[in-house]
Amino acid sequence: MAKRDIQFLVRDLEALTIQGAAEAAVEIMNALVKAGPGYTGDFSSSWYTIAPGKSAGGPRNSSGLYNYTLRNVPKTKFKTTGVYSIVNTSPYAAQAMDLVPYTKPLPDQEIPERVVTTKDITTGKRDEGATRGEVSGSGKATSTAPADWWFTFGRGGGLSSSLAKGFKRGFKQPLRFGKARGFG
Amino acid sequence: MDYQAIRAAVENPLLTAFNSLTPPVPVYFDNITAAPKNTTTEYVRVNVTFGITNEPTLTGSVDFARGAVVIRVFTEKGRGPARNQTLVNTAVTALETLNDTEKTNSGVFFRVGEIDGPSFMSDETSPHFMSRVSTGYTATVLS
Repeated sequence: MAKRDIQFLVRDLEALTIQGAAEAAVEIMNALVKAGPGYTGDFSSSWYTIAPGKSAGGPRNSSGLYNYTLRNVPKTKFKTTGVYSIVNTSPYAAQAMDLVPYTKPLPDQEIPERVVTTKDITTGKRDEGATRGEVSGSGKATSTAPADWWFTFGRGGGLSSSLAKGFKRGFKQPLRFGKARGFG
Repeated sequence: MDYQAIRAAVENPLLTAFNSLTPPVPVYFDNITAAPKNTTTEYVRVNVTFGITNEPTLTGSVDFARGAVVIRVFTEKGRGPARNQTLVNTAVTALETLNDTEKTNSGVFFRVGEIDGPSFMSDETSPHFMSRVSTGYTATVLS
């Protein structure tokens, strides 16, 4: 049976917490990809976990819906105390999250014909002033995620479930100790 | 899980509240096409969504669902926020009243969480001034 000196408890808990936070961030971002819209993969590849005071990058290269791994949230990111945010930096994120009414793209902003989605596509009519996901009846408007998926994810249990799942996974993984750390 | 009963638990009070106004304000729910194009008539859209069902709870209840209620209020643009805020108030009051209902032996026990908003906006493509309030809910089917 492995034993370890009590003097390392605080340090180990700190390391496990960082491990748990990183795993939780990955779990949450992948759950957001699953819950949110996706045609080309650009929106799905634009999620970032950012430390307090830090800024996020743009869309990553993706040939489909993005799959997040621990490479996207290195443990070195979790050194600052404070509130961490998961943000989407896509230029049309507010529309994708149904936070503002849908605006038809201008001709030079049209999404290129490289639809890669594996999601179900709802088609129908989108009323004037409606959001991206408010598509019903018959028409040519499309939607790959239900209306208000973002708010539902946050309040409907998706966020807390992903957070718990990720943290559990992080805490279950063994810590990697150096030779001189008293692991006996 | 009786999703329809859960939906009804929040949709019916909202419908009643807006129908009781003078004049009544139309309420559109999920999967119903809303107002005709370019109308300036005021209306309300309610979206009830489902998140996680049957999450283990401390009470051991399995007929348990979580989700969200998003209410969007559309009033005429360029006339100030007063009318819109009046309608938002109707929506928020209806949501608050849900939390005053007592738990019975049957039906649906429905509770909303904190209410986000209202937030107001308008855009150039729509003839409406729009506001939005939203909240999470938990619902337990009791019977």
